[in-house]
Amino acid sequence: MKKRIGFKTLGCRLNQFETDALASKFVGLGYEVVENSKDIDVFIVNTCTVTNQSDQKSRYVVNNALNHGHTGMLVITGCMANHHKEQLEKRYPNAYVVDNQQKSTIPQLVEAHYNKEILPSNQNVGGVFDYAPAAETFHTRSMIKIQDGCDNYCTFCIIPKVRGRAVSRPVEDILENIRQVVGFGYKEVVITGVNISRYNDNGIGFSALLKQIVDINLDFRVRISSIEPDSFDEAFFELLKHPKITPHLHLCLQSASESVLLQMRRMYTYKLYKRMVERLRAVDPRFNITTDIIVGFPGETEADFQKSLEAVEELNFGHVHTFKYSKREDTRAARMSNTVPESEKSLRSEQLRQAANDSKINYRQQFVGDQLKVLVDTVKDGYSKGYGEYYVPVKINQVLERNKLYTVKITGIETWGEEPNLIGVVQN
Amino acid sequence: MGKGVPAANKIKTDLHEILDIRHLTDSTFVLRIEKKDLEFEAGQHVCVGPPNGIHTREYSIYSAEQDEYIEILVKEVENGLVSPSLKKLQKGGYVVVEEPVGYFTINKDLPQAQKYVFIASGTGVSPFHSFVLSGKAQNYTLLHGVKYASEAYESEAYDENKYVLCTSQEDKGTFNGRVTDYLKANHFGVDAHYYLCGNCNMIHDVYDILEEQGVSTDNIHAEVYF
Repeated sequence: MKKRIGFKTLGCRLNQFETDALASKFVGLGYEVVENSKDIDVFIVNTCTVTNQSDQKSRYVVNNALNHGHTGMLVITGCMANHHKEQLEKRYPNAYVVDNQQKSTIPQLVEAHYNKEILPSNQNVGGVFDYAPAAETFHTRSMIKIQDGCDNYCTFCIIPKVRGRAVSRPVEDILENIRQVVGFGYKEVVITGVNISRYNDNGIGFSALLKQIVDINLDFRVRISSIEPDSFDEAFFELLKHPKITPHLHLCLQSASESVLLQMRRMYTYKLYKRMVERLRAVDPRFNITTDIIVGFPGETEADFQKSLEAVEELNFGHVHTFKYSKREDTRAARMSNTVPESEKSLRSEQLRQAANDSKINYRQQFVGDQLKVLVDTVKDGYSKGYGEYYVPVKINQVLERNKLYTVKITGIETWGEEPNLIGVVQN
Repeated sequence: MGKGVPAANKIKTDLHEILDIRHLTDSTFVLRIEKKDLEFEAGQHVCVGPPNGIHTREYSIYSAEQDEYIEILVKEVENGLVSPSLKKLQKGGYVVVEEPVGYFTINKDLPQAQKYVFIASGTGVSPFHSFVLSGKAQNYTLLHGVKYASEAYESEAYDENKYVLCTSQEDKGTFNGRVTDYLKANHFGVDAHYYLCGNCNMIHDVYDILEEQGVSTDNIHAEVYF
């Protein structure tokens, strides 16, 4: 009987890429892979530690599985495993706590565990890019890891400490990875990494890599995931006009106050950010710019916060991920005074969320009446759902085929919970 | 997987022997430590801390790329966790050093004759000391903002015609006032590249002044000191 492996992934797309790669590897080794912790032999939790809330969520996932009777092998990996390794090993003495640098060796670890071999995970020689192209994943889009680590050292961010120094995957490995996943049937690849705009493989920067990716003579579209707005060149803006590249960037802003950006040690000004947005909208007036904004950073005044609020109204973001500032030990911001009270952070967060929601509806409204190429990723209960090229969710009241592109005419907007989804019908 | 792919990218940390300490003022000193195999680009910083502690702090490298040692310029912070401990260390002792990192460097694609304006407050002069000693910029002007002329920190390293000491609390520098006052009165043009290093307020104000003078943000590079 096949052994069942359950995965739970928290945090960023890089974690999703790594989970997908591991899951695919396990499928190849003959395991059954599921995305939950019920009736499984092995539970792998790919954690996140970017905020206190991420730590709490990661612990909750582990505790929940144990409280619901998981007695099999437990593997805790991801950034929390780097950041709180000793604490996790103490709290979960039967768990394997595997850091990011060893994550790719988890299949060997699991095999060794069941073969009764004594093989501590830290004796496996892994690597941050040592993942085989994933054929069987939890996603319709194939994540492609091009880079790991970050040298920016933003004052609020713990990621350089847990992901390590910036390293780039060789160009040819990336191109081969894309050729393979497109061969597996993927229609869209998502370029991922911790700080992809700093990609540099022997002098080949991000734009030069992107050019080689779009030049691959296969039929697929490219989505660039989260990117820092600090090192774009002219070639990058030109490449965004390429038909393979989807008009969407998650361009992290964090704050629209110049003084807060300096305190965060971000490597751009708000003025520069605005200019980038203008250039992106010159490429395509409906270019979808989504972003992250932190509220309540130490020293953030009401006037600073108002600037972020005004930016949300001014820049017509397609989505804003609002974070309340969360103190991470071992960062520079943790040593800053003038902390903002939690109650004030919550107030600002709520105000920003409201503004972001209005902006989202406003942004999405412009697609009503137009056609989008939708990649279907969910089919259930008589409807299908997917994302168009602008990375806006579209619901179609018809059963369609997963992982297939459809031309869909947008007929309106329907709100589920707080999410305003586009509604459309398939065009023949 | 291709050849040369890094197996891991953990931050490398090592113990480095202290070769010399030069006290420049009551609170500021230069720590010279062995280089070992650390290569860096002028403008980058290292995290340094006492050998038996868990804390480190970021310091821009003060010495030149080609030097056979590494120097950092340290100002003792009252009640600080790291700088008071570093000050107590002696020659022959050790410090913990993380490998150099950072993007506050000179763009190699710019022409040799490129005009640079370096603007520093206090110990923020450190990366510019490294730029100049490493031969990274020939055509430069360094504006150094301090309270007192005694904080000019080994200014003999610079061409005296290219170094402007701005003293805000006494009339002993090249210019009596803040670097921002000097910059308002003296324009260096829109084609120069401006490198700013020091406290947030100075950088914030300089950005505003340069913007008023029509300088593109593409030509402004900043490294914040805390």
